[in-house]
Amino acid sequence: MSTRITDSMVSRTILRDLNIADRRLSQTQRQLSSGKQLTRPSDDPFAVGRAMRLRSELEATRQYRRNVDDGTGWATATEAALSRISDIVQRARELLIDGGNDSNGPVAREAIATEIDALTESLKQEGNATYGGRYVFAGTATETTPYAIGGADTFAGNTATVVRTIGDGVSIAINVDARGLLGDGQGAADNRLLDVMRDIAENLRGGTPADAEALRGTDLARLDANLDELTRVRAVVGASANRLQSAGTRLDELEESSLDLLSRVEDVDMAAALVKFSTQKSAYESALHAGASIVQTSLIDFLR
Amino acid sequence: MGISTFSGLQTTLRGLLAQQRALDVTSHNVANASTAGYSRQEAVLGASPALKIPAGAVQSGAGAQLGTGVDVLSYRRMRDGFLDLQFRAQAMRLGGLAAQVRGLEQVEVALAEPGENGIAAQLGEFWSGWGTLVNAPENQATRQALVERGRGLAASLATLDSQLVAAAEQASAEYTALTGPAGEVGLIAGEIAKLNEAIRSSLSSGAAPNDLYDRRDQLLDQLSGLAQVAVTDLGDGTLEVAFGDAAVPLVAGTTVTWPQALSEPKGKLGALLALTGPAGTVAAYRAELDTFAQELADSVNALHTSGGGPAFFSYVPGAAASTLAVAVGAAEVQTSATPAVGANDLAVAIAGLRNGAADQAYARFVSRVGTDMSEARRGEENAQSLVLAVQERRESVSGVSLDEEMTNLVRFQRGYQASARAMTTLDEALDVLINRTGRVGI
Repeated sequence: MSTRITDSMVSRTILRDLNIADRRLSQTQRQLSSGKQLTRPSDDPFAVGRAMRLRSELEATRQYRRNVDDGTGWATATEAALSRISDIVQRARELLIDGGNDSNGPVAREAIATEIDALTESLKQEGNATYGGRYVFAGTATETTPYAIGGADTFAGNTATVVRTIGDGVSIAINVDARGLLGDGQGAADNRLLDVMRDIAENLRGGTPADAEALRGTDLARLDANLDELTRVRAVVGASANRLQSAGTRLDELEESSLDLLSRVEDVDMAAALVKFSTQKSAYESALHAGASIVQTSLIDFLR
Repeated sequence: MGISTFSGLQTTLRGLLAQQRALDVTSHNVANASTAGYSRQEAVLGASPALKIPAGAVQSGAGAQLGTGVDVLSYRRMRDGFLDLQFRAQAMRLGGLAAQVRGLEQVEVALAEPGENGIAAQLGEFWSGWGTLVNAPENQATRQALVERGRGLAASLATLDSQLVAAAEQASAEYTALTGPAGEVGLIAGEIAKLNEAIRSSLSSGAAPNDLYDRRDQLLDQLSGLAQVAVTDLGDGTLEVAFGDAAVPLVAGTTVTWPQALSEPKGKLGALLALTGPAGTVAAYRAELDTFAQELADSVNALHTSGGGPAFFSYVPGAAASTLAVAVGAAEVQTSATPAVGANDLAVAIAGLRNGAADQAYARFVSRVGTDMSEARRGEENAQSLVLAVQERRESVSGVSLDEEMTNLVRFQRGYQASARAMTTLDEALDVLINRTGRVGI
């Protein structure tokens, strides 16, 4: 017996086909309006897993970028302070050479010594440089003033390293050891800047031949040694700033490529979706048309 | 023995009556063209028993048989029992998968992944909170923001967990409603038992209750969506219906045994049981969520306490997802093992946990839900199309085709007209015999 086709079979088939066409159409429409091809984990579990991973990496990249920005700010503040320290030391060196001349009388030397004292206080001031309310030269004791202005010359911070994470497992030190540069003053006799500056003022005020000799000899040599150290430290800070900058560029590129990948996994290809939409729309219309013309007629129309 | 003069009239009368019955059946079919579960019927016509004419009836001197017209032998219901079996097997699969899809859909929607509001995004923000703390360990606002993010993450986990619980409870409530004393299973079983009774008494009086059969088959179809159904004919027209893995048949003749305990009934009830319960899908999901929450809390706490500080997260073991909470205030957040305010070694280490074991545990969980869901949905679509295919085939056998019925209508109408015409002819012949014979020359 051949297959009988009954009226309810025809109408059910038409209804089912229309439903299928309608569902496809609404799915494409949802993709077009949301711009996303993944809206639920079951749409494509593998792609959703990948999208989640990419999103998480993107978030990490953005955090690293923020770390780099913070580190760059810190390095800039450090660099500016070191530059001013350098200027102060240069000025002190000029005064020292001037003051070492025997032609200067006690009054003139006292005037120079007073300026050296003022410069020393300025050095301590620069040692207290801040970035975002934090002392950049205080090590990790970022809320402790490193040097007491008008007080003792001892360093109150610590020499711990301040690091920023700029990649998976990649950290960079952004602070410099201020104690190694400015030192703990005369009491420590550590030949660092504050010690040398205080010695210079003392020798200027002393006025004995030994003092004059020290001004021209050891004081100048010690100051120059500190200037060399200052230059070295500035080079280190400059190198970190460069490293931060290149890390920032790399992270920007990484963010862009992650976004691109994420978009490729998650987002709808609009052109393809539109083509699909119009194909499905014409299929739906054809189904409607065919359905309407089949359901209308039957043998009843032709029997007298 | 001769043949009655009027036997021809009797023959045409039989013809008229039989065609009329056939027309009645056709009308019944047309009237029920859209009735769900209706099987088309057919009046089976057969020649009525012939009259024996004794020897000498034909030229050779032998006897003969003279036809006496037509009788309706039976009213046949067009039904293929094998297709019913196939349909019920597929309906059971579809019922189970559809219930599974509906249950899992709730879980999937609760996840809100992939997106900006899911737990994955919040987890990313939590790690970023630690990252920001690395940059400014001395900043109270940053600490507070981190604590808030931790709390938000814990709250989202608890919400997701409670939504999982709600999904299981809803499935369990649906199971109870279906199997309860006033539930669908009990009602269907009761009706089948009543139909068994009606069919048996109807058969004993000799009539085939076609429409009652249809009704009973339709109820069995409904029942098969709920669980596995096995039907045995008891011989007197009644059925024995075994339901799922119930110990006693649900219906045996006119007796209903319900409610009964089921463990793996298959079908919709089976899917609902598989979602709930201590070994169910939802319980497994919750366990995975707990694993994730515990992994998160343990990995953060291990680093957070390494400097001698308090634990960052607190939770109750075994229910980590629902009880996860931030155990510290902003001031107690540990950024370093050393007392220096600007030190950030612990914060660096904790921020480095991003994309670690906890993130992977969560991604595994989401991927598992997604895979389960897409498998169930594919299975449902597949079962749906199989059910439709069987339904088509069954419809092809049992469905009413109006074109066919119209053709039959014309056929039987013509048959009726022809029988009436034959009767008229006989009547005219008898008229000659009765009214005019022997009146020649009057």
